[in-house]
Amino acid sequence: MKKILKTIKNGIANENPIFVQLLGMCPTLAVTTSAKNGLAMGLATTAVLLCSNFAISVLRKFIPDKIRIPAFIVIVATFVSVVKMLMNAYAIDLYNELGLFIPLIVVNCLILGRAEAYASKNGPISSLADGLGMGLGFALSLTILGSVREIFGAGKIFGLALFGQAYQPAIIMILPPGAFLALGLLIALYNNFKSKKKIS
Amino acid sequence: MKEMLGLGLKLFIITAVSALVLGFTNSITAPVIAENERIMNEETRKEMLEVADKFEKVDVDKENILEVYKGLKDNEVVGYVIKTATKGYGGDVVVMIGIDSEGIIKRAKVVKHAETPGLGANAKNPEFIDQYSEKNVKMNIEVVKNNPTDEQIQAITGATITSKAVTKGINAAVNLFNNELNQ
Amino acid sequence: MNYLAIVIGAVFVGNIVLAQFLGICPFLGVSKKVETAAGMSMAVTFVMLLASIITYGLWEGVLKPLSLEYMQTIVFILVIATLVQLVELFVKKASPSLYEALGVYLPLITTNCAVLGIAILNIQKGFNLLELIVHTLSVSLGFGMAIILFAGIRERLVLSDVPNAFKDFPVALITAGLMAIAFLGFSGFSII
Repeated sequence: MKKILKTIKNGIANENPIFVQLLGMCPTLAVTTSAKNGLAMGLATTAVLLCSNFAISVLRKFIPDKIRIPAFIVIVATFVSVVKMLMNAYAIDLYNELGLFIPLIVVNCLILGRAEAYASKNGPISSLADGLGMGLGFALSLTILGSVREIFGAGKIFGLALFGQAYQPAIIMILPPGAFLALGLLIALYNNFKSKKKIS
Repeated sequence: MKEMLGLGLKLFIITAVSALVLGFTNSITAPVIAENERIMNEETRKEMLEVADKFEKVDVDKENILEVYKGLKDNEVVGYVIKTATKGYGGDVVVMIGIDSEGIIKRAKVVKHAETPGLGANAKNPEFIDQYSEKNVKMNIEVVKNNPTDEQIQAITGATITSKAVTKGINAAVNLFNNELNQ
Repeated sequence: MNYLAIVIGAVFVGNIVLAQFLGICPFLGVSKKVETAAGMSMAVTFVMLLASIITYGLWEGVLKPLSLEYMQTIVFILVIATLVQLVELFVKKASPSLYEALGVYLPLITTNCAVLGIAILNIQKGFNLLELIVHTLSVSLGFGMAIILFAGIRERLVLSDVPNAFKDFPVALITAGLMAIAFLGFSGFSII
């Protein structure tokens, strides 16, 4: 049990997909125009990651090494398509807002990366834990980035206005450049925090 | 050779299973998606042209025009609801417009879009979209930055492209109404 | 369809990397040297063009007629993965030095969201075959331009005095942000 919790925590902090590993950049920059979108994408990716990690771990003895990459891709693509269909049917507004980036979850290097680095070498339960940790780390980072951009770019968070009418938001934060700038600054902050921790 | 066959077979099995899973999910979700779409369209049509109690589809093949429905009350034509699609900032912006038989735009609604939240996405808000209500179809509407006259509407700050896309859709509907429907 | 509008739109206004956020991983990962960046963009151009044409053919010829649209994601990505394998074998034989230079980044083109993204976008935008080819070539031109420009800047950044917390990726991201702002100047540019 302790090992499972450690695995989960690892994904959220030490090996955070976005702030440390810098995996899954495309959706990170594209859909974090608001906290809600960031969270939705993070959760959709987590769902796929959980399913694919579990399935690949269960099948790891069955999948021959030589064809493992195509096999992983087929498995991940299946779950992505399922998530896409479910969102289209039951969460249509989010589906329209996330748009192209839902099918693009299949090429999120995070998912294939975890399949290769963890799920194909560990048992189903710890693979689930790894998927949960990485997924939550990813979702958390996306939500933070989305919140930062939404607060500075629109004066809102999750659609709730934070400041009065007089607040002039820096619209650039919601536009593409804002994504790069916000993420760059956040990673710098994270690096700074980490190095201070090391010294103390 | 035997090894390759073995590999190929295993990959085929995995692919076959996933195709089954997908086919199954599709059979469940496809009807739901279609039904949601149908209900949403029907309800929106009623909102766009409240005086009508029945709608009949009209076949129209024109640029930017997705769908045209004739609005009827007691079997008399009382207006039209037109669905348009124009290119916005992030993709197509789909607008539904209700025009009554006198040539007044009753209401418009942004039905689908992929515009930026906080910017172009605000085209869905009443403050923007209600500007088109009660406008006359005798002239095409223009987009301006502020102080709009009767034939103009005010763009969303920082979202000129989205504002223009919506207006282009409205004008396409207006032109269709003037040139073809109201004969 | 106005071909000039497609080209200008894909290279400048809606630049695949700086405006549409596709292809960020190679953009950040392979842009440390201009040479590697150039090699990568050529490989990507090749794969992207072939992938777009083949997926278009499969969509129109197989998936749509058989009502198998929901298989789009899985079929497209398999096509791309296969193509990358073939390109890898080809490059290995034809130019071993290029193969060495690209290293692990060649198989990574499979997960390049730009390739899959453009394949899907071409279908969504409803291009015919000729428009599709023009569009895809323009997109890869835009990608190459962005990544080579970026590599040029990063080569210089390595030589300057960057604060520790910003070293490597943060300063690279901020640079990309400034480039994106420059490209924002093209938005609203309409020749239709």
